[in-house]
Amino acid sequence: MKKIRVLFTTALLLVTLAATAGAEEPITNWLVSPEGPLAREVRSNFFFSMITIMPFLFLAEGLLLYCVVRFKARPGGRLATFRENLRLEVLWTVIPALTLVVTAVPTYQTMRKMEVPPKSDLVVAIVGHQFFWEYRYPKYGISFAEEALVVPAGKVVTLNLSSVDVVHSWWVPAFGVKQDANPGRITNAWFKAENPGHYKGQCAELCGRLHAKMFIDVKVVPPEEFESWILQKKVGPLPDPADTAKTKRG
Amino acid sequence: MSGERPKGLKRWLTTTDHKDIGLLYLWLVLFMAVFGGAFAGLLRAQLSASDLKVLEPDLYNQFLSMHGTLMIFFVIIPAMAGFGNYFVPLLIGARDMAFPKLNALSFWLLLPSAGLMFGSFFVQGGTAQAGWTGYVPLSSRQFSGTPGVDMWILGLHLVGLSSILGAINFIVTIVNMRASGMEYFKMPLFVWTWLVNATLILFATPVLAGALTMALTDRVFGTGFFRPSEGGDPLLWQHLFWFYSHPAVYIMILPGMGIISHVLPTFSQKKLFGYKGMVAAVGGIGFIGFLVWAHHMFTSGIDPRLRAFFAFMTMVIAVPTGVKIFSWLATLWGGQLRFTTAMKFGLGFISLFVMGGISGLTLAVVPFDVQVHDSYYVVAHLHYVLFGGSVMALLAGTFFWFPKMSGRILDEKLGKIIFWLIFIGMNITFLPMHWLGIAGMARRVYTYRPEFEFWNQVSSFGYILLFAGGMLFLYNIFKTLKRGEKATNDPWGAYPLQRTLDWSTSSPPPVENFTRIPEIV
Repeated sequence: MKKIRVLFTTALLLVTLAATAGAEEPITNWLVSPEGPLAREVRSNFFFSMITIMPFLFLAEGLLLYCVVRFKARPGGRLATFRENLRLEVLWTVIPALTLVVTAVPTYQTMRKMEVPPKSDLVVAIVGHQFFWEYRYPKYGISFAEEALVVPAGKVVTLNLSSVDVVHSWWVPAFGVKQDANPGRITNAWFKAENPGHYKGQCAELCGRLHAKMFIDVKVVPPEEFESWILQKKVGPLPDPADTAKTKRG
Repeated sequence: MSGERPKGLKRWLTTTDHKDIGLLYLWLVLFMAVFGGAFAGLLRAQLSASDLKVLEPDLYNQFLSMHGTLMIFFVIIPAMAGFGNYFVPLLIGARDMAFPKLNALSFWLLLPSAGLMFGSFFVQGGTAQAGWTGYVPLSSRQFSGTPGVDMWILGLHLVGLSSILGAINFIVTIVNMRASGMEYFKMPLFVWTWLVNATLILFATPVLAGALTMALTDRVFGTGFFRPSEGGDPLLWQHLFWFYSHPAVYIMILPGMGIISHVLPTFSQKKLFGYKGMVAAVGGIGFIGFLVWAHHMFTSGIDPRLRAFFAFMTMVIAVPTGVKIFSWLATLWGGQLRFTTAMKFGLGFISLFVMGGISGLTLAVVPFDVQVHDSYYVVAHLHYVLFGGSVMALLAGTFFWFPKMSGRILDEKLGKIIFWLIFIGMNITFLPMHWLGIAGMARRVYTYRPEFEFWNQVSSFGYILLFAGGMLFLYNIFKTLKRGEKATNDPWGAYPLQRTLDWSTSSPPPVENFTRIPEIV
């Protein structure tokens, strides 16, 4: 098991390297490069949970390895005869239980932050279709599909999600957001991206034949650029051909 | 009841002997596992590079759905039933199950069911493509018009019926047919896990049957149980489905825990540590197992208070699971460990199941779960639990009990190779998936971003090892049946210390198991 853990750590490192040095605009995630307060919150909650939970993994695997090495049958070896130990049994019931309470408290705080967004700067309605996303900006009367979602940097974006056909799930790992889009129901999520750039994601709920190709592309732009983009969108549908091609390629 | 047993094919077609029925279950499981495993191979072949065209997307989704369906409903669950059928009556000192004919029916229902599953590939439009979870509306008539889905539903109905009948049989057998002196708290752990398991099946499976019936009438008669336009709700399916399918996770692991609780003490040459605590833990897992289902729905938009409740219960269920792990470790402690193949699989079970348990615990942490839900992280987690847990336990059980069932001992040298191929192959296949999920690879995809290619290649390579291990395992079984080393009544020397009745009778046991019903003191 130790080897495996070394392998896993190496894996993390390698993929991180590949992600930073690799092909054009690789997908980013909340663990390596969290974008915005929500993603950072998810990450610190994750690290905290790891600190409380992982010792049990190492303890159990360590004890197992120790037993395998130490208690290998030997001719004339002595056998222990104990069959129970109440104190020990109470301990290994109570300590994990208390650890879980300790884990639960900050988790609930983070959940609250996920569920109660700060004051919204921009509302976007996201509608899932087989197999593309439609984005609507009610405040500006804009809607389009099969293009990147464009949002201003440093602003709180709240999402209302729904679907016209099957269940989809809108997932951008860098933002720490994943929310199902159900037919006949509106669900909510929010994020706040601070740095301009391209952020990638994909549909996370099996939605049919081309589920794997239902990519998500989010363009975070400086607020001024966002304003001019809105104006341009309102004037008429003049989609940048390079942009459309990019979205389709994912 | 007793007397001359028919020979050959007639014996197998007409048998009501619990041992024969147990063997029939296990043979069917081997057969289905070959297909379930081959389907997984096709999936791994398609994923061995980004944008491959081994399988067309629709076909990929079909094999994906059927890999899950076969492995869960036709491999793991009936394998547990197979061992349960063979060993529960033996372990409680009974001559047979309480209802031998019902027992036979439970098995034979599986054949038409398997026929429906395989047949559904060949109808127009192919079989179910919405995953083994069959989420609506994707599995509804509008989005999956193929009659393959109806066949899939009917097939699951038959499996469910088989499970329910089996569960009733197990409960009645364990409550009524114990030999004199076999008090509840003298029952071996495998019997306890089956008692709790059968109770879970009895309470959970009818809910699946209800959900499936609604899905079927929605499809066939246009009722709108799951259709918002008719006042229905797709989330209702998710609740009902997981109300069954989460307990089903425990249905798939509890008897495995029972097997491990026989294997570890036997080869540590000690008694099981903390018997009563273990029994309590099994009961606790069974009960709490009914209160965690919505942790499969943390991203679905359910009420936040519901999310908080289910997150907490999911953490709570780790406590009795931890009790079991620590008690097994204490069983090993101070023993004289004999590393037979069964023991290797038993120890492998602990090591892998702990991994799966810990990753399951991280999934109770809602903010993290939301990120990795429906990603490869979950694929990794569920395979550590179902493969690293259930399948390792079943392999341990096979090497452990094969001498009792066949009178011959599986080749231990081959066993050692099989164990290492499977243990290493399992980790190479599934460990990288944890990272892939965190990095953003969704599950149930036929292709992925080029960034994910390397670890997918590693994973597909791991499958080759698993495949080799599986093939060698089959070879070992056939080879041993033909010319394996003969087994005594108690080839592992278990009886003097463990006193479990399976080792007190001949290998294989005679019709009706015991020449004289043993008395337990």
